[in-house]
Amino acid sequence: MTWAPFLALSFEAFGSLDFWIGAMTLAGIYAIFTLGLQLNVGFTGVINFGQAGFMAIGAYTMGILVADVGLSLWLALPIATLVTMAAGLLIGLPSLRLRADYFAIVTIAFSEIIRYVAQNARGLTGGNQGLLGFDSQWIDVSNAVQDGLAPVGLEDQFLAPLLIVTWLTLLVLATALRYLQGTPWGRVLRAVREDEDAVRALGKNAFAYKLQSIAIAAALGAVAGYFLALNLAFLNPNSFEPLYTFIGYAILILGGLASFFGVIVGSVVVYTLLEATRFLELPLSASQVAALRFVVVGLVLILLVAFRPQGIFGKRQEMVLGD
Amino acid sequence: MTEPLLEVSDVAKQFGGIRAVDGASFDVERGSITALIGPNGAGKTTLFNIVTGFERGDRGTIVLDGERIDRRPPHTIARRRMVRTFQITKALSAMPVIDNMALAAPDQPGEHLTGLLLRAPVARRREKEVRERAHELLEVFGLSDKAEEYAGTLSGGQRKLLELARALMVEPRLVLLDEPMAGVNPSLGRRLLDHMHELCERDGVTFLFIEHDMDVVMAHSDKVVVMAQGATIASGPPAQVRSDQAVIDAYLGAQVKA
Amino acid sequence: MEAEASPAQPGALGRREGRASLRTTMSANPGLVAAGIVLAIAVALIATQGLQPVAQTGLNGLISGSYFALGAVGLTLVYGTLKLVNFAHGDLLTFGAYTAFVANITLGLPILLAVLAAIVVTAALGVFTERVMWRPMRAKGAGLLQLLLMTLGLAFVIRYAIQFVAGTAPRTLDVDVTSSVGFLGLRIGQTQLVVMLAGFAVLIGVGVMLRSTSLGRQMRALSDNFDLAEVSGIDTDRVVMATWIFAAGLAGLAGVLYTSSIGTMTPNLGFFLLLTLFAAVILGGIGNAYGALAGGVLLGLAQEWSTLLVDARWKLAVGFLVLILVLIVRPQGLFGRKERL
Repeated sequence: MTWAPFLALSFEAFGSLDFWIGAMTLAGIYAIFTLGLQLNVGFTGVINFGQAGFMAIGAYTMGILVADVGLSLWLALPIATLVTMAAGLLIGLPSLRLRADYFAIVTIAFSEIIRYVAQNARGLTGGNQGLLGFDSQWIDVSNAVQDGLAPVGLEDQFLAPLLIVTWLTLLVLATALRYLQGTPWGRVLRAVREDEDAVRALGKNAFAYKLQSIAIAAALGAVAGYFLALNLAFLNPNSFEPLYTFIGYAILILGGLASFFGVIVGSVVVYTLLEATRFLELPLSASQVAALRFVVVGLVLILLVAFRPQGIFGKRQEMVLGD
Repeated sequence: MTEPLLEVSDVAKQFGGIRAVDGASFDVERGSITALIGPNGAGKTTLFNIVTGFERGDRGTIVLDGERIDRRPPHTIARRRMVRTFQITKALSAMPVIDNMALAAPDQPGEHLTGLLLRAPVARRREKEVRERAHELLEVFGLSDKAEEYAGTLSGGQRKLLELARALMVEPRLVLLDEPMAGVNPSLGRRLLDHMHELCERDGVTFLFIEHDMDVVMAHSDKVVVMAQGATIASGPPAQVRSDQAVIDAYLGAQVKA
Repeated sequence: MEAEASPAQPGALGRREGRASLRTTMSANPGLVAAGIVLAIAVALIATQGLQPVAQTGLNGLISGSYFALGAVGLTLVYGTLKLVNFAHGDLLTFGAYTAFVANITLGLPILLAVLAAIVVTAALGVFTERVMWRPMRAKGAGLLQLLLMTLGLAFVIRYAIQFVAGTAPRTLDVDVTSSVGFLGLRIGQTQLVVMLAGFAVLIGVGVMLRSTSLGRQMRALSDNFDLAEVSGIDTDRVVMATWIFAAGLAGLAGVLYTSSIGTMTPNLGFFLLLTLFAAVILGGIGNAYGALAGGVLLGLAQEWSTLLVDARWKLAVGFLVLILVLIVRPQGLFGRKERL
């Protein structure tokens, strides 16, 4: 059923470089975003429904530091990352001790508060008008990279440099997480996911590991937020609706829980489909096409969870969903 | 003998008006095997939970090797080399058996992000030691051929063995076993008891275990502590406890009520 | 209604002093303490802001509190009975509102019939999801995350299916949104007055039903302790079905009341309300039906009274803040038992 829209597609879209650069940039951004969810849900058993909120904190902190405070972008990035991690700790400290479903509700409420602040603290965030003017230093870099792409014939692709940097970052982060997963540290995380009490009985501070997990996920959300900000060139509260967290969950389940590289595949599939629907030739309004996309996202989520909970690449033995 | 390894004094705990533990006091001597017995609902598991920090007692003190440990969280208690198992085994099913074992090892700098970053060679060396030790123990417990299997594929009895083996990875001074024999077939159960004696005699590990089977308790413990209705009502060598009138009453009373 | 369910104010509007002693008193009689806190906050607000604005915003709070409570009681019962944290519950409100729109505007039926249609059709949707999704998943022994994600998926499907059919433009029911009535120096929209009266009438009805009918008692028993209720011989299947009819029907009604009171509906109205409903449920103690009723009314008051102190655009954030504060200070809620955590 997910494949049905393809039939009606004008194949020109798939032949166009613009389409692929746009779709793959988004796929890369939301793959980084979902790596954080994977670390939390797939490897620690912490149900984080607030990833869009962390993305917003990172992106807005960076934007405000550059556009309003006048810091260099390169200085703003690490500061914004630390701020976002601190927010992760702040929300985790009181609520990670609660039951998993409560934590899910707390994090989504937190993420909505962040979006409310972005919408309503107009002096700081520009509200719904958006926040602009934080990307001039990036554009210099981007232009230099673009010039360097002349030999491969990509010098006309304005967004190609962002695509490249996003995917390089994604691959580095996924590899690093994959490495961490195999270390004794990753082993404790997986044990926490399965049974916190068993872990505590063996002398490990399960709570500290959950905090670390949420702080790292927050940082990953922030990094995704920077790339999203550079991709859009302005920040708007609507980019951080809980909807995006839930698309992250669709990516997560599709790629399979407990697999970092599955996240990348899941994100490529989801964003290829989501972006491709823009080119659908159906007798529908734009709003209807948008609605249809999310009906399909919802159905895919339901069907996958019900019938293939380990996702496409997950291992059944390590299946986290059925516990 | 020197001072006891574990001293529990006057511990109590209420749950919504029900006195689950109500004045429990006993000692565990170093290098001994002590059994904790009592009718169902006597508060044995709750007492275990309090001693190991999983529940907080309302009053009373718990001293491990001269140091108070009541009100400490479970993981810091376990780090003092007192480790427990659970009545319903907590084998981590989605992890291979060998990872279950390695997880329990103490002093692994690789379990901390800073340690991974700054002390990578130490972490690697330690991991090698840990795995060797894990394989040794699995050998002893007859689980060698299962090392790479997911723990979820083990039988109930094998899980009990794994949990005991895993507890030993902590290099414990004191091991608390909550009904280690329940659900284990007799031959595996005998092996478990043999291991316990061997560890006690050879390595000086102290054991405290909850058990219902009287024959096992009488034959395998140096000392028996009896609980009834939340309180410890008797303790001493098995033969003496067996003829204690209060104990007989408690058990008969429980049987009559049941 | 019972004393427990009387309107009361959360200890969340910046009352930090004396929390420890508060906590012990609260466990003894949470309803009374909560009512006391509301009273104290009302008095403090009257002293600083004057009687008229406090009464006017309080009245507004009771209006929104009535549909919050109706939405929350179903959410809490479904949670308690089925251990299902239903992220699609808000979208049941949306579904109810749009069902009423179809009946009232598209088919031209009178508003009362439209309300009835909203209740019946939304209840049917609840039963449908139970049969098609939740019961089979329970039979499979699905885990918490699995169910959570399925409710999310369902929320997407309902919300965007409505958007697909009805579009994003705001819709209105055929109700009078302009006339208002005045009394004692307070003003209230005519429709809002009807909403409030109808809402509270149903709330009281729900309270009585849960208390004095055997079905209601069984629903509460099941919500409180499923296993115990099952072994004590309650026909759980029947009660589960009744819970869905009850929860979804009330959600449909709440959606119509919300729309009538606000004046318009959009496809994402339910999602915006969902977190407020969660706040009400958790404030009241998750799984506790009376708690959810009280929590809903409390949140209505908290949101409206907050407009006296901060700009009205932060109103929704107040709900989220209450939610987070309750979870930090008293995670079992006003009427919940600690063991449930």
